[in-house]
Amino acid sequence: MSAPDGIALSGVCKTFSGRGKVVEALRDVSLSCPAGSFTAIIGPSGCGKSTVMRIALGLERADAGTVRIAGQASLDAARAGVTGVAFQDAALLPWRSVKRNVEVPLEVLGRSRSTAAAHVQDMIELVGLKGYENALPGELSGGMRQRVAIARALVTHPQVLFMDEPFGALDQILRRQMNVELQRIWAETGSTALLVTHGIDEAVFLADRVVVMHAVPGRIVDVIEVPFDRPRQPSLFSDPEFHRVCDHVAEVLHGG
Amino acid sequence: MAAEPKGHWRGLRNAAVLLLIWEVVGRLDLVAGGALPGFSEIVIRLYEDWGDYPRHIWATVYASTLGFLIGNAFGIGAGVIFAMSPTMLRLFRGVNIAVFALPPIAIAPILVLTLSGMAPRIALAALGVYFVTMTATVIGLSQADTRATDVIRAYGGSRWDALRLVRFRGALPSILAGLRVAAPNAVLGAILAEFGGGGRWGLGAYLLGSLGRGEPDRLWGIGLVATLIAGLSYAGFALLASRTLGATRAVTLNTAVPETDTGNRSLAVRIALTLGTIALPFIMWWGFIKLTGVPDLISKTPWGVVQYLFLGPTAESAQSRLLAALAETLPITFVGMAAGLLFAFLLAISSRLFPRAIEAFLPVALVTQTMPLVALTPLLVLILGRGTSLTLWVTISVTFFPAFVTLAQGLALVPRSAEDVPRAYGASRWTEMRMVTLPASLPYLFAATRLTVPRALLGVMIAEWLATGKGLGNLLNQSRGFLDYGMIWTVAAVSVLLSVIFYQLVVIVEKRVLRRLGMATAE
Repeated sequence: MSAPDGIALSGVCKTFSGRGKVVEALRDVSLSCPAGSFTAIIGPSGCGKSTVMRIALGLERADAGTVRIAGQASLDAARAGVTGVAFQDAALLPWRSVKRNVEVPLEVLGRSRSTAAAHVQDMIELVGLKGYENALPGELSGGMRQRVAIARALVTHPQVLFMDEPFGALDQILRRQMNVELQRIWAETGSTALLVTHGIDEAVFLADRVVVMHAVPGRIVDVIEVPFDRPRQPSLFSDPEFHRVCDHVAEVLHGG
Repeated sequence: MAAEPKGHWRGLRNAAVLLLIWEVVGRLDLVAGGALPGFSEIVIRLYEDWGDYPRHIWATVYASTLGFLIGNAFGIGAGVIFAMSPTMLRLFRGVNIAVFALPPIAIAPILVLTLSGMAPRIALAALGVYFVTMTATVIGLSQADTRATDVIRAYGGSRWDALRLVRFRGALPSILAGLRVAAPNAVLGAILAEFGGGGRWGLGAYLLGSLGRGEPDRLWGIGLVATLIAGLSYAGFALLASRTLGATRAVTLNTAVPETDTGNRSLAVRIALTLGTIALPFIMWWGFIKLTGVPDLISKTPWGVVQYLFLGPTAESAQSRLLAALAETLPITFVGMAAGLLFAFLLAISSRLFPRAIEAFLPVALVTQTMPLVALTPLLVLILGRGTSLTLWVTISVTFFPAFVTLAQGLALVPRSAEDVPRAYGASRWTEMRMVTLPASLPYLFAATRLTVPRALLGVMIAEWLATGKGLGNLLNQSRGFLDYGMIWTVAAVSVLLSVIFYQLVVIVEKRVLRRLGMATAE
């Protein structure tokens, strides 16, 4: 038997109702990410891509369909420490230092912080924030805060890593740097990754497969395989073949 | 299960249920042997007494309207000056804190001594308005879109042009929101002055005159009318704001006295400014007395109070009476304030755990923001008698509601994403609360404390004055009877001073704690 899929959604539907309006956020979304793969979801604003992630995390309940994370229900997976998550805005607690923010998942999961101390330090160094352990989020730049969020997502040795536009607030130059670093980190940890983004080049550079969604109702219209070998080099960003794949994604994204 | 009634229907239903419970409880005389009459009994009595009302209502409305206009003229004028000149804002900080923190009942007697006729009531109403409007103006003007003002400046416009073309229009929503909160404050100020100033007409005078007659239905009727007037004044400005601006802003009482950064000035300038800030309230006190021309025997300058309390022949007796009163007043002020804050905090926190249960309560708490709560002390006397528990409950009720509103609205601002992180790792409600909600509520707890400091002292002094015959409030009331002018001025000065000192202490602790935690002060 093969290992269970890292992330498996099947037939997920979700409608939001409020103020007399009913919005069909997701219609029959099925997605299966093999263990150790990197999947990117791309789509216009309001297509429900963040909702897919929130449902996979167990933060929202699906109206229909099933969700399995590493073979378990989402909240069980979360409580077992299988998942790691980084949100759109870094979502740091402003009153906690960098180190204490990275420790949040450990605290929630009831793991000993003292035995994990070395690992916390490793994660902070991995994202290049050595020397900033005791700084407060307010003292960091936007890019540094996003890196703290990545370190926090990785601190539990997650088998499955969820990222919702983790570099959305960064400028283009920093964003590319972070893309390269994220690939390195992901390769080192060997986790299953799901990245929600609206940057085509970011999705193509990082992912094995790009899932394209359309809005109203939110649905998956195509899954595009990305053929490039790993590790991918920054020079890939200027490769003609890279641009061909990007153009194809853009076509599916904007086409009907 | 029944379908959820939506929106305002649910509000109406809740109000109807409350009225019904009130009616039943009142008719059956369940509260303190009939101290709370049924709603219909109150309305019937109101109808019977209606002949008395017009002159009382007219007196209160007249004083509060004039006070409202004058207070706003000063508030907006000062706000513009402070927004343009950080030096002036710094210099007047002491005055502003004093106006914010002063317990109105303490200065009502000195206004009566120095001004005549309706003037004391108008002055107290204006004082209640000034602070709210001034801060709303400063905040509104300083929050104006800097890019839009840059455009004006880039075309060579002066600071005045920028103020005229951009900032004033941008400040309008903030100022209107300020007026909305200020209007019921004016009514409260007028009623408190009626308590403290004698005089025949006015709802405060009517309330006080009816207190000894043991007619709960009449007292409740007066309370209802006073609440209605304050509520209408609020609703009027809320309507005006939504008509002219298309949107209304949240009702939060701003409790931060606007500040400026003086860090980049030389030490000598900073010392001069600090000394000026401390001296200015006393200079204004002195100027006020010289201006009114009331003889020295009656009106005391700052120096006059020092002479009375430390140098005069009766200094020793004055000191011991003052200390005895303080020993009675201060402990219960702290206990009442702490209890009010604690209740508000617990309720606000649990509103995060049980949102539906508390949802019904928030409108009630918001309505109390426009009620002249302290002025309704005579009603509490009916229920609680004249003992210490009265003082405690008056204090709790005037601190609890505003603290709850501040905390609940602050907690609603905690970003969802901050709570998503622990939740995504399967955190329980309690873990989430401990890690996110409790620490995030800290700035609002401080803001609520700043707000309740002066209110607690006011609540205690009112209860002491009107009912219990203890402490500072009673000393003030007695001194009026004995024509002990020195003591009247001393109590007024000491209670304002205490309020200011407590307020400053809270601000200092708040700054230290929040800076250490990397958090910003809640506005």
